[in-house]
Amino acid sequence: MNKPLEIVVVGGGTAGWMSAAALAGVLTRQQVSVRLVESDEIGTVGVGEATLPQMKEFNDYVGIIESDMMRKTNASFKLGIEFVDWGNKGASYIHPFGAHGKPTGSIAFHHQWVRALQAGRSYNIEDFSYAIVAARRNKFEFPAGDQTAVNSTYSYAYHFDATLYARFLRDFAEARGARRTEGKVVDVALHPESGDIASIKLQSGESITGDLFIDCSGFRGLLIGRDPKNGYEDWSRWLPCDTALAVPCARAGQFAPHTRSTAREAGWQWRIPLQSRTGNGYVFSSAFISEDAAAAALMENLDGAPLGDPRLIRFKSGRRLKSWRGNCLSIGLASGFLEPLESTSIYLVQMAIVNLLKLFPRNPIDPILISEFNRLVDLEYERVRDFLILHYYVNTRDDSEFWKYCRNMDVPDSLREKIALFVHRGHIEKYKDGLFAPPSWLSVFLGQGLRPKHYDRLADNMEMSAMIEGLDTVRRSIRERVQAMPDHDAFVRDYCPAAVSDRPHAMMGAHA
Amino acid sequence: MSQPIARVVVVGRDAAGWLSAFALQRAFGRTGLTVQVIELPSQLSAADVYAALPTLSNLHRLLGLDENEVVSACAGVYVQGQRFSSWSRSKPDFMHAYDTQGVVINHVDFIQYWVKARAEGLAVDLEDFCLGAAAAKQNRYVLSKDTTEAFSNAAHGIHLNARTYVRLLKQCALKTGVVSTVGQIASVNRSGASIQSVVLSDGQIVDGDLFIDASGVEAVLIGAMPEAPFESWRHWFGADRIMVASGKRLTPLPAFSQISAYSNGWIGLYPLQNRTGMKCVYDSSRQSDERTAEEIGLTTGMRIESEVVVAPLQSGARARPWVGNCIAIGESAVVLESLDAAYLHVIQLGLSRLIAFFPVEADALVEADAYNADIAAHVRNIRDFQIAHYKLNQRFGEPVWDRARDMNIPDSLVYKLNLFAHRGRVALYDHESFEIENWNAILIGHGLMPRTYDPLADALPRAEQIGKFKGMLHFIAEEVRTMPSLDAHLEIHAPYTGAGAK
Repeated sequence: MNKPLEIVVVGGGTAGWMSAAALAGVLTRQQVSVRLVESDEIGTVGVGEATLPQMKEFNDYVGIIESDMMRKTNASFKLGIEFVDWGNKGASYIHPFGAHGKPTGSIAFHHQWVRALQAGRSYNIEDFSYAIVAARRNKFEFPAGDQTAVNSTYSYAYHFDATLYARFLRDFAEARGARRTEGKVVDVALHPESGDIASIKLQSGESITGDLFIDCSGFRGLLIGRDPKNGYEDWSRWLPCDTALAVPCARAGQFAPHTRSTAREAGWQWRIPLQSRTGNGYVFSSAFISEDAAAAALMENLDGAPLGDPRLIRFKSGRRLKSWRGNCLSIGLASGFLEPLESTSIYLVQMAIVNLLKLFPRNPIDPILISEFNRLVDLEYERVRDFLILHYYVNTRDDSEFWKYCRNMDVPDSLREKIALFVHRGHIEKYKDGLFAPPSWLSVFLGQGLRPKHYDRLADNMEMSAMIEGLDTVRRSIRERVQAMPDHDAFVRDYCPAAVSDRPHAMMGAHA
Repeated sequence: MSQPIARVVVVGRDAAGWLSAFALQRAFGRTGLTVQVIELPSQLSAADVYAALPTLSNLHRLLGLDENEVVSACAGVYVQGQRFSSWSRSKPDFMHAYDTQGVVINHVDFIQYWVKARAEGLAVDLEDFCLGAAAAKQNRYVLSKDTTEAFSNAAHGIHLNARTYVRLLKQCALKTGVVSTVGQIASVNRSGASIQSVVLSDGQIVDGDLFIDASGVEAVLIGAMPEAPFESWRHWFGADRIMVASGKRLTPLPAFSQISAYSNGWIGLYPLQNRTGMKCVYDSSRQSDERTAEEIGLTTGMRIESEVVVAPLQSGARARPWVGNCIAIGESAVVLESLDAAYLHVIQLGLSRLIAFFPVEADALVEADAYNADIAAHVRNIRDFQIAHYKLNQRFGEPVWDRARDMNIPDSLVYKLNLFAHRGRVALYDHESFEIENWNAILIGHGLMPRTYDPLADALPRAEQIGKFKGMLHFIAEEVRTMPSLDAHLEIHAPYTGAGAK
């Protein structure tokens, strides 16, 4: 047996502790030693409070018990994201975690829906999504295991306090042998020949050696950003938001099982319901609105009393040219940033960790594993990027310069082609794996106001009367089954009531 | 309002022509589409055999064909895979079965444990952990059942007598409403990149909204289009000629195709219920046809019982299979070697994508770019799969094979081979026809043994790993023992009763 690979994680935010927890949870102490360095002086960003359904797979893989995690992070369930005032002002749609209707053979459901509309029928696409109908009524329960049941057609994610989540993961990781060192990295020593990182030096004077260094230091990219050749690919011409103001407020009103994103004058505002409070933030482009005006807009639009002053976070959308180079791998914001519009931040962390585990190296690290990791990561970033741009690009808002800019910007060809095929014939490409699946694209295409001109001709093979009957049956069975679901609030109180009193530091998230 | 496509004209022959017409008629006939075939003279000989991958079943389902009936009518045989023989001078034959190897253990692929165990002295081959391969080697037919589903994905390819299959497709297509005219194309009326009509040699003018070129390598419609130049792949596939013949029926029936390398190319044996199809793909600049025919006998140990038919082979692909309102299906678009049962697969690929992207507006064929990109990516990946056989050969001291081993291969394949050689992991790209298990089978089979394995495999204690391996081998042996022989299965479910039947 080889000697354990020494892994040094730099940074203790969500990315750092997810990495440490996964490595310590999946690998044995004969395989790795995991050491995490974090500084109490440096706060974490910790805005990634909403997740995607893949989170559950991660928890299962790593060995995290869902109800335990949810209790300790004030978590709630999430069936999708509601977009308010996006495509046009006054509109609302939900991007659900689940399918719309049932496909017929190889033909996606929405072709039937388009055909029905063209035949003069009136159907709201939302009525065919179990996740949307449940979310709109603030209901929640676990999906049925029986794949033929109408309530098996969705999945779910979580809202949680990212700071508490990082703490939860710290306990988890430390219990499995990960060691935490408090300290600030002040210098990096390189191997004279390979250029790899030999050790990092802390302010205390301590020097830490390792075989693999994982940079989870956030935007700073303390280790990965040292290499001038490994720059940052700037995507802000497509994703112009560069600032966020975040503030929690007291919980009020309905306990929604979904995130809400409301488009504003120069960006959008999130609302994330937790058990103890509601997280809010305004993500905007500083070229189109001042911080003061953005802060005022945010504070005017809270459900409950604010629990502090807005906290400022600056960022730039884009990605590191190479997420992994030599023996330094970056995960989280150090490797790239895509704004939290579709809750992808934690997914991208998880995706990088899972790929690292799939391609886990030996010492010395073979360059082909690094290439494969970067290939897989790049693919994911580009696809998420296009999906995010879609929300901005397809809008009909005339009320602000920001939205006019977005409507007229030059988007990547890959996205332009996707839009053209959807508009012409409702076609949606299906990827082998990764984000996002066709139901997600469908909900955002439609939600932003696009309508296919044609539907797949295969859908004409069905008798119109049989098709209409099928549509009516699905719609009715969803409505009836959702009636019987418990309220989200009651379900959470029963399954995973918060075990943490909401101390001020938790309320505030982290201190950037 | 824009008009839908009303008329499709298929200019074609043989499997490409009739599958195209039949499939489009089945998919869209009820929605008002008419399909007319201009039937060109067949290029098939009595000896030709079609070998299909398991995916052909999907097309047969769309066509409403009962596969047992097809197999029965065409003296067909179900196969579990392809056996590669003599691709190395020193290594044994291997089976590329249409099935997975072993099972994932603790989130780690089986092959990782196998590579580790081999390094520690295990003598058992990867294919021994593959139910489909074990069945193939014993000439059994794999019946899917609950007990095997968790372990195996075994699926059947088929061999069919080509002429009978085409006759069957034609009958069914005509019965479904396809209209057919026998003829030759005298000229094509074009307006820009768009075809208005084709003129037959008897003066008949046939117009349509969409024209399918299923004429094979002749490429009667797309061949003349400057937008669709043919890119030769001769630098990767040295062979320039293909010879087809027929031998006696094999008894018992092998449940696989046999692909044997020899000094100047490869020879395929394709068992049928009444005879055995033979095919040789070779370099005619190095060996005469007479000598090649002798080689078939020497390599296979079987006598040629039929006339021998020779045809030129030029591997390559068109830059764009869909130009204007003309879509090339089959060899008019892509010519691959018949390795890996690629011939029918390329036809099927074109048709399945065409049905998925069937244009919804006669005057705006915006689907063409997406179709072309999709097909090009698929074809590149199949091409790489075929090149891998040549690149990894271990026949030293023979010019054809030495050259193949030393040739430059596409970057996409270099990368795949490098990652696999290091780690036993397949970099699967988008639009792959062959899955990880198929790549595993041929790369390991040809001797590309990974240098290292996933360190995560070390978490499984050695004794436990040995126990699991033994359990799998025992399971496979027990399952195979209860399977019917291929002969017995065919006799009950798809017996051939025509000329030359057993």
